[in-house]
Amino acid sequence: MKEDKLIKKVNLDEDWENFVQEEGLLDYNKIPLERAQIKGWIKWAFWFLRIYIVVMIIMVIIGFSRI
Amino acid sequence: MEEYKEKLDGLPVDIKLRAVDRLKIHLMRQKYGYFSRLCLLVALIGPGILVMIADNDAGGVITYAQTGSIFGIGFFIPFMILMLPVAFIVQEMTVRLGAVTHRGHAEMIWKRYGRFWGFFSLIDLVVANILTLITEFIGITIGMEIFGVSPIISSVAAIIVITSIQLFTRYSYWEWISLSIAVFNLVFIPLVFFVPRLHWGVVARSFATWHIPGGVSSLFIYVVLANLGTTIAPWMLFFQQSSVVDKGLTVKDIRDGQVDTFLGSFFMVVVAIAIVMIAGFTVYRGHLGTTIDIQNILSVISAKMGGFAMKLFALGLVEAGLVAAIAISASTSWAMGEAFGWPKSINLPPLKGMHFYLPGLLSIVVAGLVVLIPHVPLGFLNLTVQVLASIFMPAAMLFLLMLLNDREIMGNHVNRPWQNITSFAIIGFLIIMNGLYGLTVIFPHIFG
Repeated sequence: MKEDKLIKKVNLDEDWENFVQEEGLLDYNKIPLERAQIKGWIKWAFWFLRIYIVVMIIMVIIGFSRI
Repeated sequence: MEEYKEKLDGLPVDIKLRAVDRLKIHLMRQKYGYFSRLCLLVALIGPGILVMIADNDAGGVITYAQTGSIFGIGFFIPFMILMLPVAFIVQEMTVRLGAVTHRGHAEMIWKRYGRFWGFFSLIDLVVANILTLITEFIGITIGMEIFGVSPIISSVAAIIVITSIQLFTRYSYWEWISLSIAVFNLVFIPLVFFVPRLHWGVVARSFATWHIPGGVSSLFIYVVLANLGTTIAPWMLFFQQSSVVDKGLTVKDIRDGQVDTFLGSFFMVVVAIAIVMIAGFTVYRGHLGTTIDIQNILSVISAKMGGFAMKLFALGLVEAGLVAAIAISASTSWAMGEAFGWPKSINLPPLKGMHFYLPGLLSIVVAGLVVLIPHVPLGFLNLTVQVLASIFMPAAMLFLLMLLNDREIMGNHVNRPWQNITSFAIIGFLIIMNGLYGLTVIFPHIFG
């Protein structure tokens, strides 16, 4: 089996757990990720995004209504 | 060593297959010399080239061909060269984000900025992806008609091929099959040499003049937006980041991921220029043209360059649609899996990954069937998709920039000042062009 041949060649300098950690071989669905704090320029970016989306939706509606 | 085998077997099936791939990379890293380094690079490239070639999709090929037909090469060849750094700067950020966080774009938005923005991005992506997939099937059916294959047969065959590739391959094979199909995208480059009376002097002069036939008009803005929309699109951000994660790239692989993205951007721009040149030298008549559909462009190519050239062009169109359909449907599946916390990997066997595969495959079937409806306004649909993509792109890019400046998750891999400046400049340009286009919609004669 190819997998066995590969494992025989492996000479991990670090221990297996380190290898798994470094290579990100974890189930990230089970690792929680915290919500970002919305402050500073990010707050402004979200307000800009809201306004941009509303303006664009209005423009697209006008555009399609004229076709 | 037996211990490793047991530990590998203890991992979930998708992570186990990724671990096997990563063990190979680990072995390669231990070797020295230029050849070993090259082998490592070859093993690590894939997502960047794939996303960029898939970006030269059927809709893109049609848009480039229409651009060349309407405006010639005067403005759009230098413009396409500018698109190389634009595409690279945008997509490179997804490599770092994926390699550092090991999470896809949809998951990052969902978890860092909450459900509302998560849903907004997801719905945005899924709707745009279905519309884009329709344009891919337009390309596949039109291209196959040149070879005498009816749209029903080509559409059903494409659905079967794409479904099989998604369901029955593991990530590494999936990537190699997709890249093998993507090679045919390069068919447009030799086609340039079939163009009669090709003047390289005219091409060189375009860089000095940036000539816009008819000046800045609403049609010009529409076409610039459509070209921007086909160069950088929201699905590309989601696709490359998820692909980087599924391939298992880590911070050690960021440099190779950057090389991969640069190579992809280079091929994308060269192919785009080739298509604009083909249409510009064969269909464009020396003054501002009108919108022309792809069937007419193909007939002109056939008349001026010969039947063989037209068949090559049609083959490129089919390939463009096929490879993009594979990538776009995968991006839908990955994004759904990331948003809802399902197991999400192309390494998953069909039954274990049914939740994951279903959204992408359903979108393929819907697109494959819509394209068979008689009298669907295909040309209009294609340009609309590109314009919609460019309208939503600033929002998608803003999320990307927020994440790339988030030191909590990115650590030392946050954006450097020059990356932020250029990215904000790209967003600014997109917004200005969108605003100008919006003005031309409300005041159609504003630019004469």
